[in-house]
Amino acid sequence: MSGDPSRPFKWVTVVCSVVTVGFLVAAAVRENVSADWRGHQAVFRGILQIKAKDDAARATARNLPIEIRQVVVPALHTVDRCVTCHLGIDDPRMTDQPNPHRVHPKQLLAIHRVEKFGCTVCHQGQGAALNFEEAKAEDYFWDYPLLPAKFTEATCASCHDPRALPKGSVEKLVLGMQLFEQKGCNGCHKLNGKGGQLGPALDNEGLKTKHQFVRASLKGSQTNWNWFAEHFRDPAGIVAGSLMPMPALSQPQVEALTVFMLSLRQRDLPAEYLAPDKIDEQYARLHPPAPDGAALYHRYCAACHDTGLHTRWDKKFARFVPGVRNAAFIRTEDDECLAENIREGRPGTRMPGWGPKAGGLSDAEVTALVAYLRTSAPAMALPVAPPRGEATRGAALFAQECAGCHGIDGKGLIAPALANPVFQQAATDAFISQTIRAGRENTPMPAFGRAGVSESQIGDLLAYIRKWQPQARSQRP
Amino acid sequence: MTPDTKTPIREFLENLKQSPRHIRESAMRNGKAPETDRERSQSTFHNLFLHMQSVRTDRRSLRFAYTFGLGLILTASFVVLTITGILLMVYYKPGVELAYNSVKDIHFVVPAGRFIRNIHRWSAHLMVLAVFLHMARVFYTGSYKRPREFNWLIGLALLVFTLGLSFTGYLLPWDQLAYWAVTIGANIASSPREVTDAIGITAWFDPGGFQKQLLLGANYVGQESLIRFYVLHVAVLPLLISAFMGLHFWRVRKDGGLSRDESKPAPPARIGDRDVEVFAPTKTYGLMAVVRGRTPVVGRAPEGSVTSWPNLMWAELAAFMFTIAVTLVLSYFFDAPLKEMANPAIPENPAKAPWYFLGLQELVSYSAFMGGVGIPSIVLIGLGLIPYLDRDPRGVGVWFGGPAGRRTFWQSLIYGLTSVLALLAVTVNLGWLRTWFPTIPQIAIIILNPATVIVAMYSAWSLWVLRRTGSIRMSAVALFTCFLAGFVVLTAMGSIFRGPNWHFYWWPSQWPTH
Repeated sequence: MSGDPSRPFKWVTVVCSVVTVGFLVAAAVRENVSADWRGHQAVFRGILQIKAKDDAARATARNLPIEIRQVVVPALHTVDRCVTCHLGIDDPRMTDQPNPHRVHPKQLLAIHRVEKFGCTVCHQGQGAALNFEEAKAEDYFWDYPLLPAKFTEATCASCHDPRALPKGSVEKLVLGMQLFEQKGCNGCHKLNGKGGQLGPALDNEGLKTKHQFVRASLKGSQTNWNWFAEHFRDPAGIVAGSLMPMPALSQPQVEALTVFMLSLRQRDLPAEYLAPDKIDEQYARLHPPAPDGAALYHRYCAACHDTGLHTRWDKKFARFVPGVRNAAFIRTEDDECLAENIREGRPGTRMPGWGPKAGGLSDAEVTALVAYLRTSAPAMALPVAPPRGEATRGAALFAQECAGCHGIDGKGLIAPALANPVFQQAATDAFISQTIRAGRENTPMPAFGRAGVSESQIGDLLAYIRKWQPQARSQRP
Repeated sequence: MTPDTKTPIREFLENLKQSPRHIRESAMRNGKAPETDRERSQSTFHNLFLHMQSVRTDRRSLRFAYTFGLGLILTASFVVLTITGILLMVYYKPGVELAYNSVKDIHFVVPAGRFIRNIHRWSAHLMVLAVFLHMARVFYTGSYKRPREFNWLIGLALLVFTLGLSFTGYLLPWDQLAYWAVTIGANIASSPREVTDAIGITAWFDPGGFQKQLLLGANYVGQESLIRFYVLHVAVLPLLISAFMGLHFWRVRKDGGLSRDESKPAPPARIGDRDVEVFAPTKTYGLMAVVRGRTPVVGRAPEGSVTSWPNLMWAELAAFMFTIAVTLVLSYFFDAPLKEMANPAIPENPAKAPWYFLGLQELVSYSAFMGGVGIPSIVLIGLGLIPYLDRDPRGVGVWFGGPAGRRTFWQSLIYGLTSVLALLAVTVNLGWLRTWFPTIPQIAIIILNPATVIVAMYSAWSLWVLRRTGSIRMSAVALFTCFLAGFVVLTAMGSIFRGPNWHFYWWPSQWPTH
C-alpha cells in the first residue's frame, strides 16, 4: 500500500469545511450585522443625541434600541417596515434632516397617524422590505411599486373626494379629473358604469399591475406611470391599432392625467378610513343632481362629434362622423327620434348605445342631452312625405345617385348606413324625404330636390330604402 | 467495599464526580480506544458507522471517477433539505392568504431566513440534478445487474419521489411562478383527456380529470391544492423517501457493496513476505443457517480492500462537505426566486413547469397525452425493465462495459442529439401535421407527433445496434444514451428557447414584454 488512501478525501473535506464555515460566517454577517437599516438607525441615534435638550432626552437617545420596527394595520392588511429606516417620520424636529431621517412633509402625519394608516396605503411599495431597493420594488417582483412623489396624490382619492380637499393640495389630481371630462375620454371609456365601449373601462386602472398593460412597445421604465405617460403621448405607438386620438397634451397635463388614472381604485376600505366628503361623493353618484346637457355633451359625445356643428371626417374610423348639432339636421329630427338614436346607438358603426343598459346614461340625462341638441334649432314641421312609389325604379336611382356614399346595399360607406335597423326604426318617411329633398347643410349630402329629383322619384327612393326595414318591429308613422 | 465505609452522601458525590466519564463511556459503549483483539471486534459491533458500512471497503469503490460520490451527494442534499425544511416550517404558513407573506417575512426579517430558503432551494435543484446523474452512473457502469436488479427499481422509486418532493415544494411560496407552474403540472396530469376527448368518452370515463382532481383537490389551484401539496411535501414524501433510502442502502450493503469488475482478480494479499491466495468462500455462514450464494459476501476476500474506518468515513465526509459547500456558495450569491403573489387573473406567459419537467412540457406542446402520460410511462417502464432484459453478467463495474460500449455511447450520443435537433428544427420552422392539414383529426396527431417520432427513431437505432452487435447490453446503452440526449435537448428547449405562447426564441431578451 502506498500512502494514505484517504488523503485526497481529507483534503476535500478540509477545503469544503473551510468554505462552508467561511460562507456561513459571511452570510450571518450580511444578514444580521451589515444590514443598511442598522446603519440608518445608528445615524439617527446620533441625530437624536444632538437634538436632545436635557439629560433625560439624551439618555433616551443613547438607549434607542437598534431593532426592526413595523406598523401593522390589520384593517388594511398591511405590515409596513418603512419606519425601520424612516425613524424620524413623525418627529417634527427632523425637518432639517436628510432622508431617510426627515419628518414627513406638509405635516400630513398629524392628520394621518402612522399607527392607523401605515405607509403603503398611500405610497404603495413593498412594506415588508428592509432595504430601499426592494421597498421601492420597481424592478422586483411586486405588484405595486413605490409611487414617485409626483404621483403620490393619486392615492388621496381612495379616501377623499379630491374636489373637497383644500385648494392646491391635490392640484394634479383635480386637473386630471377636469381633463378627463373635457377631453371626452368618457366617450370611449366607461367609468362608474357610464361611458362608451370603444376602449376598456377604467374603474380599476390604478390597481392594475404592470402585467395587465400591453408593454411590447414600451421603452424605458416598465412602470405603470411610464406606460400612462407614453400612451397619452402616442396611444397607437404603445397599443398597436389603438383608435384613441392623440390628445396633444402638455407635460403637466400628461402628469395630471397619469395621476388621475393611478387614482382609479375600487378598494374596499373600512368605513372608518373614508373621509366624510368621500361618502358625500359616493352618495352624489347614487343621487345625481339635475343633469346639465352641455356638460354631458362634452363628456360623452364631443370626443367623436367634436362641436357637432359640422360633419367631421375621422381618419381612424375611415368615415364621416355626423354633425349632430348641425341646425339643418336638428331641424328635421323630432325629440323622440334624437332620444332613440342616443339610447340605441347605431349598431354596425362606432356609435354605441347610451341608454341605461348600454352606456349607463339615465333617461333624465338622455332628455337633457336632447334638450341641449335642440338649442341648435327648433324642430320644423316637416313637409308631408310623398307616397311610397315603385321600389325597382327607386333601386336604379339609388344605385346612380346614393350608392356612392351610402353603399349599394345601404350599409354605408363614408355616409351613414341607411339599412341600419335603428335608423329605420327612428327615422320617419317625412324625415327621409325632407333630407333627400333639401340635403344637409355643412355636410356632403346635397339637396337632390334642387338638382331635379322629383317628388315621385323621392317616393320611389323611399319605397326602396324602406325595404331594409326590420320586419319584427313596428315602424314609427 | 462495605456499606459502612460509604455513606449515601459520599456515594452521591462520588457519582457526581465520575458522571462525565460515565456519560462518555455509556455514549461510546467501548469507552476507550480498543487495545486487544476482543476490544477491536467489539468496537465494530458497537459502532453505528460500521453497523451501516461493511468493515472493509474495496479500494475500487473509493475511486472518485467511478461514482463521483453522487449517491452521497444525494444523501447529503436530503439531509440539508430536511434540516432547512424544518427551519422553514417554523415560519411558513400554508394558507393562500398567508403563505406568500410568510415567505416574504422569511426573506426579510427571519434571522438568516433568506439564506436558509436559498439553501433549501439550491439543495433541491442539486438533488434533482444528482438523482439523474446517479442513475446514469449506475446504468453506464452496469451496476443494475444481478444481484442488484431490485435496488435499481428502488432507485427508480426514489427518482419519482425526488421529483415529487421538488414539484410539491414548488407551489408552497404561492407566487406567480409557483401558481402557474403547478397549473401547468395539473394540466399535464389531466392530459389523458386528450385521448378520451378524441374518442369522445370523456363524459363517461375521465381518468385525466380524476388525476387532476386528486392532485389539486379541486378543479383549479387553490387552498385545497396548497394544503395537499404541503402535506405531501413535509410529511408523506419525506417519510417515503426516508424509508426507501434505508432500503436502498441496505440493499447496497447486502448485494455486496458497490459494484466492481469481479472478473479482474484483486492483487493477492501479502502475509509476511509471501503472496497468499486467500480462500474465496462460496458458502457463507448466515445468522440462521448455512446459505448459498453471495448474500453477505463483500468482495472475494480481504485483498485490495482497506478498512472502512477511517478511509470510507473520510470519503463520505468529503462528499457531505462538498455538497454543503457548493450549496452555501450558490445560496450566498443567488437568491431563490419569489415573484409577485399568485394571481389567477393574470396568467404568466410563458407559464413554465419546474425545469426538470420542461422536456415533458415541450412534448406536451405537441400532444398533451403523449408528453404527459404516454412517453413518461414508456420511459419509466423501460427503465424498470432494463435489469430484467439485460441479464448478461459481464461488464459490471466497467464504464460502458468496455471500449465497445464506449464507442456505442459516443455513436448513440451523436445520433440522439442530431435526430432530436433535426426534428425540433423541422417543428419550429415548418410546423407539424396541424399546420399542414388543419382539419386532421386529433387522434392522428396523438399517434404521430414529434414525441412519438423521436421515440420511434431512438427505438429503431437501438434495434439496429442490437442486430449489429448481438448484445442486449449494447442496445440498452444505445437506447439509454439516446433518451438522455433527448432529455437534455428537450429540457434546454423548454427552459431557454421557448417564450410567450410557447414560441421559439433564440434568447429570452427577444421575448416581447407582453
